[in-house]
Amino acid sequence: MLQFARDYLPLYFQGTLVAIAVTALSMLLSVAIGLAAALGRLSGSRAARSIVSAYVAFFRGIPPLVLLYVVYFGLPSWAEQMGIRPLAAFLAPLNNRVLSAVIAFGVNSGAYSTEIIRSAIASIPHEQMEAAQSLGMSYWLAMRRIIVPQSARVAFPPLGNEFIAVLKGTSLASVIGVTELMRDAQLVAAATFQNLMAYSLAGVYYVVLVIMLQGAVGWIEGRLSLAHK
Amino acid sequence: MDRTVGFVSASREAAGAPRDPLPAPDRGDRGSRPERPVLELNGVGKTFGRHPPIAALSDVSLIVNRGESVAVVGPSGSGKTTLLRCINFLVPYDSGRVLVNGRLVGYRERQGRLVPDTEPRVNEIRKRIGMVFQRFNLFPHRTVLGNLLEGPLYVLKVPRTQAVQRAKAALELVGLTDKIDAYPGQLSGGQQQRVAIARALCMEPELMLFDEVTSALDPELVGEVLAVIRRLAQQGMTMVIVTHEMAFARDVADRVVFMEAGRIVADQPAVDFFMKPATPRIEAFLSRFAVPGRPG
Ligand SMILES: Nc1ncnc2c1ncn2[C@@H]1O[C@H](COP(=O)(O)OP(=O)(O)O)[C@@H](O)[C@H]1O
Ligand SMILES: [Mg+2]
Repeated sequence: MLQFARDYLPLYFQGTLVAIAVTALSMLLSVAIGLAAALGRLSGSRAARSIVSAYVAFFRGIPPLVLLYVVYFGLPSWAEQMGIRPLAAFLAPLNNRVLSAVIAFGVNSGAYSTEIIRSAIASIPHEQMEAAQSLGMSYWLAMRRIIVPQSARVAFPPLGNEFIAVLKGTSLASVIGVTELMRDAQLVAAATFQNLMAYSLAGVYYVVLVIMLQGAVGWIEGRLSLAHK
Repeated sequence: MDRTVGFVSASREAAGAPRDPLPAPDRGDRGSRPERPVLELNGVGKTFGRHPPIAALSDVSLIVNRGESVAVVGPSGSGKTTLLRCINFLVPYDSGRVLVNGRLVGYRERQGRLVPDTEPRVNEIRKRIGMVFQRFNLFPHRTVLGNLLEGPLYVLKVPRTQAVQRAKAALELVGLTDKIDAYPGQLSGGQQQRVAIARALCMEPELMLFDEVTSALDPELVGEVLAVIRRLAQQGMTMVIVTHEMAFARDVADRVVFMEAGRIVADQPAVDFFMKPATPRIEAFLSRFAVPGRPG
């Protein structure tokens, strides 16, 4: 068993790097969507609020695996069938597995990030906005300089948890052939017929990774709160 | 701490500087005509809610001239906070007019009717009005210096070196030079409130509004904050000071305004207000405070 682990460790390590990269890119997209959507939801615009509510309801409801199939198998071929050139050209990048995975996971996680960031912004006392406005700041300047930076500290721990959830979710990308950790395990299992060993080793990798991430989140969280006291 | 830090003279220069597209009434002809008041309220009213409606302000009129300090006193819920917040339009008033330097706050006239003004134009006026809150409301994620730079850098677009200079001068005035790199959470309430005053001063305001700025402080910290306001009064800063510190109001304010149930009941020179209370109600109110040197 140790021999097995020793043999395949490097291969799994590569898959781990891919999983981390997909997670990081997905979270980048997720937080970008989440911030924009949260600001839209909190803004006075009724249209923005309903769009965001619909987005959150839809993408929280849809299983990530289904979304992944829609994005990777569904969209590009649909565009080709439709025969609309610009649309097909626009969606062609989705033929790339990694990009499809990042978009599916990012858009899906964005629904959760929206809620996390929205409640973080809402947790900042209203007096902060008033203090900023009393200096002559516009609503958006106050958001950018005063409110959002403060809410980052509040949003960080739950976004860290979201990062971990997305990381575990990247194992789904194996079904569209992204050679991340889970896909590596499938390949090793197929080659060696040692299913239990192959998948357990992947499991150990995930667990270690999550523990390390949790440690990092806790450490950064500590640093963030230290800076204000 | 006797050095004069020139916030007030600087703000006077600013009044004549061409940052206001409207004609400044006091430009050039100072002395030949009486200067326009810094603050004018004419019949201002504000009602909150509908069931039931609460008239926080009714027909409030007040004039504050340049260099004057006016103390606003009165029982809790009488509309003092609302009055201050209508002046910089944190609360939109719904009748009457508020004029700062002769300029209508929050509304513009269109065909004889008042329509809500745009956010940038409201901010133009807010830039010139400093406000200090009961609970400090410093930005906890920025250092003291960061708090003081925020307005000058991002609102006034003052060059950084100049903004830092202003911040240092303001800190000197409030006596907190050594706390420049501290975070608000590391300061006592009194120190935080002095930083909050400094933050407002860095905008070089023409008018300062104080809303019970010592009410949230431990008694032993009240003095240091009042001393700063007193110094500003000596420098000729124009101020509206909501306070429960009666002795301070008597000593520092030129006039005292008494509010009750959303109305201004008395507006008198400070000495008269305390020596000859205008109504029995004021007399009763004052009797709850031990004001040294007051008869009875
Ligand atoms: N945002 C608000 N919504 C509803 N009522 C308010 C609001 N602000 C103030 N009021 C009411 O207006 C009245 C005056 O309040 P305020 O100006 O805070 O008085 P003071 O500062 O003299 O204690 C009070 O009855 C208060 O309950
Ligand atoms: Mg009040």
